[in-house]
Amino acid sequence: MTIINITIPLGLIQQIEDYSRIVNDILKHDVSLNILKFSTSSGGINILLDLPEEKIKEITESLKSNDVQINRKGRISYDQEKCLFCGACISLCPTEALRYKDDDSIEFSEGDCIGCLLCVDACPTNAIMED
Amino acid sequence: MIITTKTYQEINRKIKSKDAIVVTAEEMIKIVEENGSKVAAEEIDVVTTGTFGPMCSSGAFLNFGHSDPPIKFEHLWLNEVHAYHGNAAVDCYIGVTRMADKRPFEYGGGNVIEELVAGKPIRLRGISNTTDCYPLGEIDTYFTIDDLNQSILCNPRNAYQRYVCAVNSTDRTLYTYMGKLLPNFGNAHYAGSGCLNPLTNDPDYETIGIGTRIFLGGGIGYVMGEGTQHNPKNRFGTLFLKGDLKQMRSEYLKGVNYEQYGTSMFCGVGIPIPILNEGLAKKTAIKDKDIITDIVDYGTPRRDRPTIRKTNYEELKSGLIEINGKKIKCSSLSSLYHARQIAKELKEWIEDGKFFLNPPAETLPIETDFKPMKQVSELKFVKDLKRGAVICYEDCDIDIVAEKIVQKNTNHIVITDRDQYLKGIVTSFDVTKAVAKKKTILKDIITKRVITTTDNEPADVAARKMRKHEISALPVIDDKNKVVGIITSEELM
Repeated sequence: MTIINITIPLGLIQQIEDYSRIVNDILKHDVSLNILKFSTSSGGINILLDLPEEKIKEITESLKSNDVQINRKGRISYDQEKCLFCGACISLCPTEALRYKDDDSIEFSEGDCIGCLLCVDACPTNAIMED
Repeated sequence: MIITTKTYQEINRKIKSKDAIVVTAEEMIKIVEENGSKVAAEEIDVVTTGTFGPMCSSGAFLNFGHSDPPIKFEHLWLNEVHAYHGNAAVDCYIGVTRMADKRPFEYGGGNVIEELVAGKPIRLRGISNTTDCYPLGEIDTYFTIDDLNQSILCNPRNAYQRYVCAVNSTDRTLYTYMGKLLPNFGNAHYAGSGCLNPLTNDPDYETIGIGTRIFLGGGIGYVMGEGTQHNPKNRFGTLFLKGDLKQMRSEYLKGVNYEQYGTSMFCGVGIPIPILNEGLAKKTAIKDKDIITDIVDYGTPRRDRPTIRKTNYEELKSGLIEINGKKIKCSSLSSLYHARQIAKELKEWIEDGKFFLNPPAETLPIETDFKPMKQVSELKFVKDLKRGAVICYEDCDIDIVAEKIVQKNTNHIVITDRDQYLKGIVTSFDVTKAVAKKKTILKDIITKRVITTTDNEPADVAARKMRKHEISALPVIDDKNKVVGIITSEELM
């Protein structure tokens, strides 16, 4: 399974029918997906979806055609200079983009980051910031 | 009977001639495993330990010297962080959890100490009632650490022997001094460096005591004695530490802030353990798996939080712990990397003949109790203050709800099904809005996600829920989600 991060922008849903349209489009693909996280922010509704690898392309196309944003990976910046190598972020990261190295220092792998932003407010030195 | 194999004098002689054999507590494990504790006690002179984590009970005494004309502070601020003044004219104590008046939760006493040690200028603003001997009423100036007479780090409680692992059973994210805890046991946090922790390596306090010379914040410090809340019977010993900030380095004193909790400071502490006998060789070889601690549910907002189960530092450091059959991610709030660096640096100081060991003037108490606070007023619970909820069924009309509001003179109608299970809440304002928008179906105006409380929740916890969510009432439910009353801001006032 692969995790993608989508945002339903504020204002996109005006009527219940708008929801139905988006959901029905996804249902056409006959796929079981997990919703890992559902949160709201000033920008809209943020959802983390866990999808089968082979369905990613068609599902994202379907979402995009309904004006749902597919967030690019790695929406955070990590400043190793500021990092104290504690682990306040590590347990929050769902993909191990933030991880301990063998010497227990910490590294950030941008390619693995799905931009869920769970780590941002957990960092005690503001070494992790939203891009 | 413990047979002494070495004395402090012998060890110090070896340090002076740079012949002392020093290893870190991590290295000692392998040495004892391979050679046995008897050989290790003969060969190893000193084991170094280290820890680097948030230590909220930290702060510094500063003395500014006298102004002209002189001032006796009543209140003073360092970079807008209120410092404590209750000593002589120009002494103060700056604590790390004190937050800046204008930027709380972002900047605090820990940041001031870090910047001071880094050599940055600090703004000093103070006011005074004025006296015949101290006539100056106000001061606003800048100073650096070099301008101070004394700057003494003085931490009443540091370097916990071990600490608990925190999890969260509730359905919302908690922001605590144990970091961000995700709902439904979504993650776990622990603290301390396990087998590298200073007191863990001297669990019977044979060598660590009043006057012990240590690594503190990158400089040399001393143990002043037992820390506050020292709890030796439960192996939660703590240390009261002091040291000269002018010798320290800001890389080992780091101001931090925890979301919705506040500020603190990471403090680097390293303590050398002289291997005076075989018993100490054995003790300093303690492994992570033998350091047991509790996994505690921080979802219970009470002093005595429930323990989920026991764990050990080996499991904690593995990054995953099992709760209710599910593996959850677990990480540290303190830095194992820097704890190791501290133990290594202290080892180098001793190997280089720059740091000597001394016996304590007195060892730490081993019998102290850690008592809870004495509270003279009785703790009030929701069940003591709640009243009967005015209830409407989910399938009734808005008119009936409106009628009840008037009849019972209340602002909150709890909506249930026929079996009293909670379905939602409607306020008089919701009804007013419905009239304005010409809505007639109750279903459309119910708030379904209701913040609730229970009989046994302390009234103050219920009050905080209302403040936090900006609401004025909480339905009281039992463990099956049945409504057993309501508590409103009126009862709590």
